[in-house]
Amino acid sequence: MTMHGMTGLVNDLREVQAPVLAAMLLGACATKFSRVLRAGSLEAGLGPTELFPLPLRRPAAMLVCAVECALGIALTITAPAAARSGTGALDGSAADGARIAATAFFLVAMSALIELRGRRPDVGCGCFGDLSVRPVGARSITRSALLAVAALASIGGPGLQLPPPGRGAAVLLACLGVEFLIIVLLSPEVGETLLRLGYAEPCELRSIPVRHTLAALRRSSHWRRQASVITSDVPADMWRELCWRYVTYPGRLDGADADVVFAVQMKQRRPAIQSAVVPRETVAVPGETGAPGAGKAAADLPPGVVPLSAMPISKAL
Amino acid sequence: MLGQIGDLTCCAHCTGLGTAELIARRRLLKAAVFAPPDGPGRARAAGWAVPPHGRAVYPGGVLTGTVVDARPHILAIRRAGREERLAMMPSTRAWKGGQVDPIALKTGDRVVVRLDPLRRGVAERVWANIGRVTGVIAERDRESIVVDAGKMKGSRVIVIPSRAASRIQVRFPRLEPGYLIDVIGLRDGGVIEGLIPATSQPAYSADQVPRPPQALGPALDRIGGSATWHEPAGEPDDVEGVAYPLFDPEPGCAEEPSRGLGCVRMPYLSVGSLLEVRNECTGSSCVLPVTGCAAVARLFCDRCVTCGTSPRGRVADLALASFVALGGELERGCFNATIAVGR
Repeated sequence: MTMHGMTGLVNDLREVQAPVLAAMLLGACATKFSRVLRAGSLEAGLGPTELFPLPLRRPAAMLVCAVECALGIALTITAPAAARSGTGALDGSAADGARIAATAFFLVAMSALIELRGRRPDVGCGCFGDLSVRPVGARSITRSALLAVAALASIGGPGLQLPPPGRGAAVLLACLGVEFLIIVLLSPEVGETLLRLGYAEPCELRSIPVRHTLAALRRSSHWRRQASVITSDVPADMWRELCWRYVTYPGRLDGADADVVFAVQMKQRRPAIQSAVVPRETVAVPGETGAPGAGKAAADLPPGVVPLSAMPISKAL
Repeated sequence: MLGQIGDLTCCAHCTGLGTAELIARRRLLKAAVFAPPDGPGRARAAGWAVPPHGRAVYPGGVLTGTVVDARPHILAIRRAGREERLAMMPSTRAWKGGQVDPIALKTGDRVVVRLDPLRRGVAERVWANIGRVTGVIAERDRESIVVDAGKMKGSRVIVIPSRAASRIQVRFPRLEPGYLIDVIGLRDGGVIEGLIPATSQPAYSADQVPRPPQALGPALDRIGGSATWHEPAGEPDDVEGVAYPLFDPEPGCAEEPSRGLGCVRMPYLSVGSLLEVRNECTGSSCVLPVTGCAAVARLFCDRCVTCGTSPRGRVADLALASFVALGGELERGCFNATIAVGR
């Protein structure tokens, strides 16, 4: 590439920084705003605002959001060459003013993140609202520094215009792609976004009403098979563990008390069901007198350990 | 996941007929329902009846009781109607509102003692009259703060002395109804003298808890976060176990403060489920039974910074004795933890 070509490429790259920065700023503002809408309050914690005294946090959060929005709009409308060479409000000085302000903003943001990392290592940067929940790290700080450099480089640059088709445009696109790639690599939010896009609720977290579980159980062949053993329609116990809900009914088997237990998968349609009948006498309490291994556990304890007392029944049931 | 079907490796003495019976029964039934049947409609259940006991993972032990006598080298405490005498070495550290000389312990102090793992009958750490209040601020007046600690624990009262006021207010700037509080201090009857903020106050109020992050697939085998401790409510100090933040909302957690999931993505469990809790700061771990619901813990989206920065949210609220046994320092309020659910 000739010297002239290189200069042209650098100028082209300076041109495209304004829309890149505008996209980042407007994206940040939009994600913060959506978080506020979901939380119903501006006080849901927005990164560096944690550094301010409590009365100032809300105004600080509003100010950050407003500045991002204003800078994003200013960079967008002053980016085209027509605006830069215009007169009145939209002239070269307006474009440079927006870019200087953006440079200052990203430098302040970088400093705030460094401070936040030192004073509140547990707090995310909040740069992109809910997506920026990871504690501030070197990546977030480097990203702010990179954006500050990009804003600085765009000051005094020519207005944005489409490059002529050909090799120059391809090189410019490649450079732009590399810049985006670097920003992506420096953005912890990208991983969070991808996760959310591909989210499917796992069965461990699925909430299914008990009536659905019981209805599926009553329709199952397992229920019909155990019906002659069950002595009550009311479950004696019911609990949930991971992907299964366990339901037990009192029963009689061979003239003795028994528990009929069903495991019903946490699935909306056609859940898998397992069942068993367990005679009551097989239920032994670990450590109870006479239970196998009861004394052994105590004997295994290291010297100096005094047995702790029994746990009472939880009242949470 | 756990290597076996959930040995109660740290709870060899959780042998009362209450929760232990419930745990054993649910384990038996759960195992039976997935076991191959040995007869028509009958599970081969007898072999599952008694959970195998492993050796306690934590090397020392934990004692709780009331101080009967405290001398420079001997600490006598009364527990369960009998007196235990423990040796105190120069390395023994004591806490009573702050680090104190062990001889500052007085008759009648309620103590939690972690025993030296290498020397029999030697106290390694002693905490006297320590208490904690975690919950939602219900009322505040000039002298005290009333905290709603959940339906089962009821209301707790905190009094913040002037010497600790600035320290508390820096970390808990909103001592107003509706906001969360978590304070450690000295217990005097039903009142806690709040001395140490156990965390930083969340910026949100109790009804604005953030949603848990989403993640692909059932990647819930191991969950990192913060493990905290609680005082047993109406129970002896030395009960073991763990209160778990997320119970099945259908049968219901009696402490259910809201229908939200909290800020940690966790699977649903119940009383009797087994949880392996690992202290990432000391490397010690043990399997504990879930003995209750820690609904209030779900409201906190904080991180523990005892060693490094833990992932956000509280994943286990340990009984005081279990927290100490796992190497936790009560006055710090938490340790970085990883939990795994026993299948």
